[in-house]
Amino acid sequence: MVALLFYSIAAFGLVLYVIQVFAVRSCVSAPGKATDFMPPVSILKPLKGIDDNLFDNLESFCKQDYPEYEIVFALRDLTDPACKVALKVKDKYPDQDITIVAKWCDDGLNPKVNNLIPAYRVSKYGLVLVSDSNVLVEKDYLREIVRHMEDPEVGLVSSLIRGIRARTLGSVFENLHLNSFTVGGVCFLEKVLKMPCVVGKSMLLRKKHFEEIGEWSGVKEYLAEDYILGRKMKEAGKKVVLSNHFINTVNEYWQVGQFTARHTRWGKLRWRIGGPKYFAELIGNPVLMSLIPLMVFGPTRITLPATFLVWSLKSLGDYSIGRTVRSDLHPLFYLFVPLKDIIIGIVWFVPIFSNKVEWRGDRYIISKDSFLYPCPEDETRSVAAY
Amino acid sequence: MLLCDFHIHTTYSDGSVVLKKVVDFYGQAGFDVISITDHVVNGDNAMGKLAHRLKYSITPGNFDEYLEDVRAEARRAWDKYGMLVIPGIEITKNSFSSDKAAHLLLIDIKEFVPACWDFEKIFLEAKKQDSLTIACHPHQTSEKTFVDTLFLWNNRERYSKYIDAWEIANRDDVFNVISLKKYPYIANSDFHKPRHLYSWKTLLNCPKDLSLIKKCIKGNDGVSITLFRRCQKQW
Repeated sequence: MVALLFYSIAAFGLVLYVIQVFAVRSCVSAPGKATDFMPPVSILKPLKGIDDNLFDNLESFCKQDYPEYEIVFALRDLTDPACKVALKVKDKYPDQDITIVAKWCDDGLNPKVNNLIPAYRVSKYGLVLVSDSNVLVEKDYLREIVRHMEDPEVGLVSSLIRGIRARTLGSVFENLHLNSFTVGGVCFLEKVLKMPCVVGKSMLLRKKHFEEIGEWSGVKEYLAEDYILGRKMKEAGKKVVLSNHFINTVNEYWQVGQFTARHTRWGKLRWRIGGPKYFAELIGNPVLMSLIPLMVFGPTRITLPATFLVWSLKSLGDYSIGRTVRSDLHPLFYLFVPLKDIIIGIVWFVPIFSNKVEWRGDRYIISKDSFLYPCPEDETRSVAAY
Repeated sequence: MLLCDFHIHTTYSDGSVVLKKVVDFYGQAGFDVISITDHVVNGDNAMGKLAHRLKYSITPGNFDEYLEDVRAEARRAWDKYGMLVIPGIEITKNSFSSDKAAHLLLIDIKEFVPACWDFEKIFLEAKKQDSLTIACHPHQTSEKTFVDTLFLWNNRERYSKYIDAWEIANRDDVFNVISLKKYPYIANSDFHKPRHLYSWKTLLNCPKDLSLIKKCIKGNDGVSITLFRRCQKQW
């Protein structure tokens, strides 16, 4: 009876997952509209430390097929190792409009927002693109996302993300998860629940609307500044659009610890934002659900094939989404899906018991909607670089 | 300041990353100067023979190919990243005894130098080729899985005049004896795996020019070291 209950939950999770597979297909296949709407754009790149492929990531923004744009590399101080890479990119493209802003800002607790505030102040144009440092884009990226801004009611455009170039086990786990759970979840929210889900790796904002919702002041104390921005835009009556143009996040040499650390942090965000809805993720993990009867009753004539079937179907689902998003993962890597989902299932429990997050060197307490408090054991606020 | 690493291994010896990928790895991280220094291992004892058997050594047979590959990558690195790549080797005299083991970097190498030569001959050859000589991990290291390489340090009175600089830091280890002796110093990663990128490095206050870099290290003027770390957490 207990086994049946868990297999039923697993089956339910698989049904939900099939809906996600179709949601991803629907998102990706949405036709683009050709337009010559290309106003100038300020690209803000918050930098901190060395990401995999950092030089190419930054360089890809210098190669945009777009008439007029500026790039502002934002650092907290000139000693950051990413500063050297930014300087090299600037030297390589002397004709590009590139500014490097290195300014200590302690306005809020969100380190990324603190990094962005000085960069935003020097930005010149009416459209501002916030783009993370670990993002690699194609030449037509700006054209593709800016075209959504032709509609004056659009306040924010974010993009779908895809993990690429995995070379280590940690990177394989990370890219498998980004190219299944993350992209599936974003498309499910967009297409099925009609909820805006803003992915902070790429956010195109209209300055006018952004200032109407309070600019950075409304998000600087939140860890999930992307989610809060999307919500505020929606509340202000502006449209939040998900572009189907993929941006790549290069995760080449991740260790498994990095993978679990990131998803623990993201899990804490979702738990603090979603509350009870967070439990849907556990139910929606068919691999973990089908593992429980196998562990409780051992390998029997029922548990072994049933669990194997669930794991196979989930792996096939991941493979299907992977193909839809044109993932570069080798098909054999999908054999790791059950192991990855078991790890994610274990990581799922951590946010229930811990409200502390460590992010780029600083520690915080995270509360409702990802509002941040300084960690009491850290005597000073934001002393270390993030 | 030039961010430098003068002690890097590839799959030409016992490194786990191929040369092209190593160059990209350092280029993507913003380095200014690196030296590829694969092992040239002595073949005159059991440890050395094993290294040769496992193809963990540059040999006279593949040295030209190695040098040409490094030079080709140097051209690519300069065009793409503005990074200087210098060919080098690590003379590797392995032994079961720490007191007999020694590793020595020859930076800006032009011709093959066998590791079985005695040190006087190696130093003379290095001088002839106008190569830098760097004593590697010269004191006790924290990695106890390997035999320490103490020969050069134990014989420093005899050899220090031939050595252009000593590794004051190697990967995660710092050798305070080098500072106490006031020997010229640099710091390197001894890169074998991707995670070794994040380790001790050298900063040079000089133009990005090979002869000036060598002069800077030899004179030990404008040299400092830094612990290069990545930020583990992503946005």
